[in-house]
Amino acid sequence: MSASYHGSGSRVLRALAAWTVVALFFFPIYYWFSVAFRPENQIFNRPPLVFGWDFSAKSFEEVFGISFGGDAARSLAGGGNFYMMPRLIDTIIVAVGSTALVVVIATLASYSLSRMRFRAQHHFVFWILSTRMMPPVAVAIPMFFIYKEIGLMDTHVGIILVHALMNLPLAVLLLKSFFDDIPQEIDEAALIDGASRWLIFRRIVLPMALGGIAATAVLCFIFSWTEFLFVLTLTQTGLKTVPVVSSTFVTSTGTAWGKMAALGVGAMVPAFIFILLVQKNLVRGLTMGGLKQ
Amino acid sequence: MSAGSARLTAPKSMISDHAFPWLAPLVAMLIVFAVFPFFYNVWLSFQEFVPRERALEFVGTENWTKLFADSRMWGALGITLLYTAICLVVQLVLGLGIALLLDSDDPGFGFLRGVLTLTLVIPPAITGMMFLLLEDAQFGVFTYALKSIGLLQGQSILGNPSTALMGVMIADIWQWTPFMVLIFLAGLRAMPTEPFESAVIDGASGWQIFRRLTLPMLGKVIAIAVLIRGIDLFRTFDYVYVMTSGGPGTATYTLSLYAWQQTFSFINWGYGAAISLFSLFVILIVANVFVAVTRLRW
Repeated sequence: MSASYHGSGSRVLRALAAWTVVALFFFPIYYWFSVAFRPENQIFNRPPLVFGWDFSAKSFEEVFGISFGGDAARSLAGGGNFYMMPRLIDTIIVAVGSTALVVVIATLASYSLSRMRFRAQHHFVFWILSTRMMPPVAVAIPMFFIYKEIGLMDTHVGIILVHALMNLPLAVLLLKSFFDDIPQEIDEAALIDGASRWLIFRRIVLPMALGGIAATAVLCFIFSWTEFLFVLTLTQTGLKTVPVVSSTFVTSTGTAWGKMAALGVGAMVPAFIFILLVQKNLVRGLTMGGLKQ
Repeated sequence: MSAGSARLTAPKSMISDHAFPWLAPLVAMLIVFAVFPFFYNVWLSFQEFVPRERALEFVGTENWTKLFADSRMWGALGITLLYTAICLVVQLVLGLGIALLLDSDDPGFGFLRGVLTLTLVIPPAITGMMFLLLEDAQFGVFTYALKSIGLLQGQSILGNPSTALMGVMIADIWQWTPFMVLIFLAGLRAMPTEPFESAVIDGASGWQIFRRLTLPMLGKVIAIAVLIRGIDLFRTFDYVYVMTSGGPGTATYTLSLYAWQQTFSFINWGYGAAISLFSLFVILIVANVFVAVTRLRW
């Protein structure tokens, strides 16, 4: 449906309004990128410098050890206090690990929730939905003490497991909605031909659901990538992900805005690429399969 | 959601299928990482850390009686509810307005919708930093803009108890209004065109069409948006942690932040656990009532 039914206004005016609104929303991202790529002294201009700043990759080089021409990288790698490549790798390990775990567990579970019936199934699905409602702090507090007991404190495995838990409700409900889209008749025909459940799942349904599984994986990756509270609570020195380590750039002697912006840009760009890959399934994903596009 | 009708026609072999092996990893994961921590948290809420003994001691219901008498806890609950309500309303209204604006097949609109989704994947902690800089008292762009149009008299947005919460809400509204836009766009695009065509023929005005056709047809979309966003708003932690740490004073203390600080900053392990459980109960009750009333199904 086109909202032109809501009447009034020319197409030109409408386009103008739309571009203006989106530009306003884009502004903070633009400004953050500009801070990451300007010389440190131009961050503290009064009035603030929105346009006309000079390009400088110095913050970026210090944070990621990536050189844009000079050989700054080699001298900085592993050296400076703001060298964040290891933290970026921590973030990737956690996101990839938890996503892999979630996708395997949730694919199996959601296939059976889509195809099989058992007593109190409705309650079971609702229980999964309820775990999505738990405030993270109500999980993080007990987990802190449990992890201290069993030695998972400050480990990649520990964070991978809690991030997997965090993403399970989303993944299960979302994948169930993708499996629901595949006609049951396909399974039924194969069952009558004597195929086993596992064979049907592996050879027929799974290949048909790959697009949905990929979209689910991307969303789980992003939510692990951006998570803050669990990493803040359950790590000390062993690892830190980008969102958490960036908050340590605020110090009593001032905030390293340029370097923090550079790190933020490093965290945003991969997520931006991923989100553009799943545009088609984004609404379904954000509503845990509740709405389809 | 489509299961209801399929159930009646499914052959016997499907109904008798054993689902347990498929669900076992999920159930194991949820028991170890959701059920067990929940009960551990309940146990913890009846203990308290005693610095003298350097250990936990059983204190009975002390934490719970303290909780219900703690004015700071009620203050934090009030701030959380205020934050949730204002952000929810603003995001719904803005989201619907922008969705109506962007619901067009004219060239460029697909690109604009794509750009708008970018805010959704920025780590909220980093969004907090972005707005910390924009709202900085000395060199923040927003501070400067608000001062030059005369909307801001004081020195800083986040340093002033009467505006700090608003300063945090701006970050939340910026990041999550596009969520509403996307959901509403999906709802608008899924609508049948016939009722709108006949309404136009019958001479209905734009406002009448919106009020009598569009809004009622968006019912389920609005319900899902309110549920998902409402849950996340009530749990807000990241923005306040990085932007204000609850201050100035207690102006931006949310329930999640209060629970976290009681446990990890003030070493009141048991009391923090009690507050976090309290917020869990509040959200579970409200959300379940909401789901029952709106009859949402997954």
